[in-house]
Amino acid sequence: MANFRKLIGLLESDGKRLYATIKRKFPVNTEETSKLPVFDYGVSDKSYNRVFVWGHTKTGALGIPYVKSSESYDSIKNFLRPKRLGFGEKNKVKHATCGFGFTLFHTVNDDSKTLYGTGLNTDSQIGYHEVKKDHPLEIIFYPKPISLPIKYSENFKIHKISAGRAHSLVLSNVGLFAFGNNAYGQCGRPSIQDEDYIKSNYIHFIKNLGGKQIIDIECGQDHSLALTEDGSVYSCGWGADGQTGLGHFNNCSSFSKVMGDISKEKIVKLSSRCDFVMALNDKGEVFGWGNTEYGQITLPGGIQQICKPTYIEMLKPLGKIKDIAAGGSSCIVLNEDRQVFSWGFGILGFGPNVQQSTKPAKIPETLFGKNEFQPNNVVEKIQCGVSHYFAITNLGDLYSWGRNRNGCLGLGNESDQYFPLKVCLGGIVKNVHCGIDHSVAVCKPFI
Amino acid sequence: MLVKDAQTIWNTLRGIICVYKPVGVRCIQVRNAIITKICSELNEMKCRPPIGRVEIEGETTGNLTVKVLPNLADHVNVVGPRYQPEDVKCSWANYLGTDTSGVLLLGIRDATKTAKYIRENYPIRTYRVSGILGSATDTAFKDGKVVERTTWKHIKYIHVESVISSMQAAHQRKMFEICGVDMHSQLAYDLATKGPIRPANSKIPVIYGIKCVHFESPNFTVEIHCINENEQYLKILIHEIGMKVKSSAHCTSIQCIRHSCFTLDDTLLRKHWTLQEVITNMEHCHRVMKENNFIIHQKAQHYNKWVILDENSLSYK
Repeated sequence: MANFRKLIGLLESDGKRLYATIKRKFPVNTEETSKLPVFDYGVSDKSYNRVFVWGHTKTGALGIPYVKSSESYDSIKNFLRPKRLGFGEKNKVKHATCGFGFTLFHTVNDDSKTLYGTGLNTDSQIGYHEVKKDHPLEIIFYPKPISLPIKYSENFKIHKISAGRAHSLVLSNVGLFAFGNNAYGQCGRPSIQDEDYIKSNYIHFIKNLGGKQIIDIECGQDHSLALTEDGSVYSCGWGADGQTGLGHFNNCSSFSKVMGDISKEKIVKLSSRCDFVMALNDKGEVFGWGNTEYGQITLPGGIQQICKPTYIEMLKPLGKIKDIAAGGSSCIVLNEDRQVFSWGFGILGFGPNVQQSTKPAKIPETLFGKNEFQPNNVVEKIQCGVSHYFAITNLGDLYSWGRNRNGCLGLGNESDQYFPLKVCLGGIVKNVHCGIDHSVAVCKPFI
Repeated sequence: MLVKDAQTIWNTLRGIICVYKPVGVRCIQVRNAIITKICSELNEMKCRPPIGRVEIEGETTGNLTVKVLPNLADHVNVVGPRYQPEDVKCSWANYLGTDTSGVLLLGIRDATKTAKYIRENYPIRTYRVSGILGSATDTAFKDGKVVERTTWKHIKYIHVESVISSMQAAHQRKMFEICGVDMHSQLAYDLATKGPIRPANSKIPVIYGIKCVHFESPNFTVEIHCINENEQYLKILIHEIGMKVKSSAHCTSIQCIRHSCFTLDDTLLRKHWTLQEVITNMEHCHRVMKENNFIIHQKAQHYNKWVILDENSLSYK
């Protein structure tokens, strides 16, 4: 009992000390310091990238295996905040891209596996994976290597990957690989009636377009766009809203050159997430085509679909445009003064009262963290999903706003965000990729 | 001093003074030192004589003489010095810990109210916090026991800068998170476009600006503009920076270089803690506060317990 009282007394006296400064019985012995070992936590490899994922978990697109013995599929919760991807720690992820419920990763490991895919695989958009013969997997929860029909060599390099609703494009130094759903010819090959995509192991290969090398690719919802080294644009796939820009509203099953206003321009960047396409030329001018029913381009006579590339004249007062991003119902552009402008329909970033704007309006720079304490903080890159947007600043901060479908904004909740708000990530963001309800950010570590 | 009369000086001793708190002493010791000095100097001056005591002398049947003699009960030797430390009311507008030095605002006598207003107005304070890379201590300050040693030669200025810039951006977001305004309202957007906002009543420290002003490995100094902070928070902040750059760090000095419109130039050094200097400083502070009226009365709009930061109070050197 006496010991017990002593113990209580000790506890009480310690409890009082919790808030006080550390009280020492003896003065600090400085000699002990030199006896301590010196730890070296090391520095990250220069090629190391930190990958963060967030959003809808049930499709497996986040590449984080959910399976626990105690957990059922229905009880899986969405990741509302960015979560570090374990796959990214074991592999050197260079690029990533998000489709509608699936994700592709390009890695630069020392082995032949350079392309990985995870998520929905209903149309073999992340390759053919089977556990037993003729039973391919329809959903994958952890990134699995996708084998490309090419003999691996040291020189083989992937330049860019892009994913649409259910098809994927991989651009390498030898040519373009296309796989996944081809119902509208978005893989650049004629569509076959009743083709069983899940069981097809076919990867279409395009060496070049019109004798020119492909330098950039972009996937819309069900169409594909390719940019060749001379600055011309080729497209194929679904064209019901004119998103192929070929001058008609039919589907096109092989890459054809896009004419219209851009026929003589040198295009440097393409952007399309849904059924509207924007193209940026080397002079900083923007062209658009596709579905413009939300006022992305105001046309005389109330025409809502435009099948020929058109110069967007209303962007002329903004100066030279640096970056573009075309979403489902609205667009954002970044001009040379690093100001972000948005227009269209939906959440534009001006609070809940502004739902629609046919003219581009500036999102205040203070919302992207520019203030008296950080005057040189400017937006560097913009990116958009179907109805949500991301902006990356030069300091590597990520800002998001828009429709928060299944927590794809990464703000810790599932409610819509009406103005840009910072996403908290443990790294310097280099690139961000948006799917329909999930997002992937490729970051550099602080050191 | 021209005025020799203690009473006159006493009547003018009403106002805010700005002193430089040395490191290693507590705020209460600074306060006591100044009060004692004021009292002792006042007592040396011409003080009030003892009050008169009416003395009626003589035979009750005859003529009485009325005399006014000094009341010995009111004599200095009986009741003690005229001005005693208990008589001087004094309170601070910002509390600085023992290990912190720098700008300390004290309100004397009637100005204790002013000090309270300044305190409740949540002005931004600027600190210069130095740290050293390579070792972590149990108190996160240099007087603690070293608990870990690490390498630090791989750390460059850019690494510290990138870590603290991400810290700052995260704090700006936190402003909205702890804000009572509904994030889905137009009001939240209007508030956000106006720049930094601050809590009207909150215990959570918020950092508005943080930048690395000096880096000479392993020593570095960061300048922090913040609200609701305390000494331990700043120490831990240095500790965290150390961890984020894959090393360890502890704090070596904390200096408050700015308190809203008061800078180090306005402060009174310890050697100048005399009655004459205190009065001169009081006049100076009065002038500064007149120029920067926002320190007591803000032109800010109130939104659901939240106050937009006044533009003037943001500007800093």
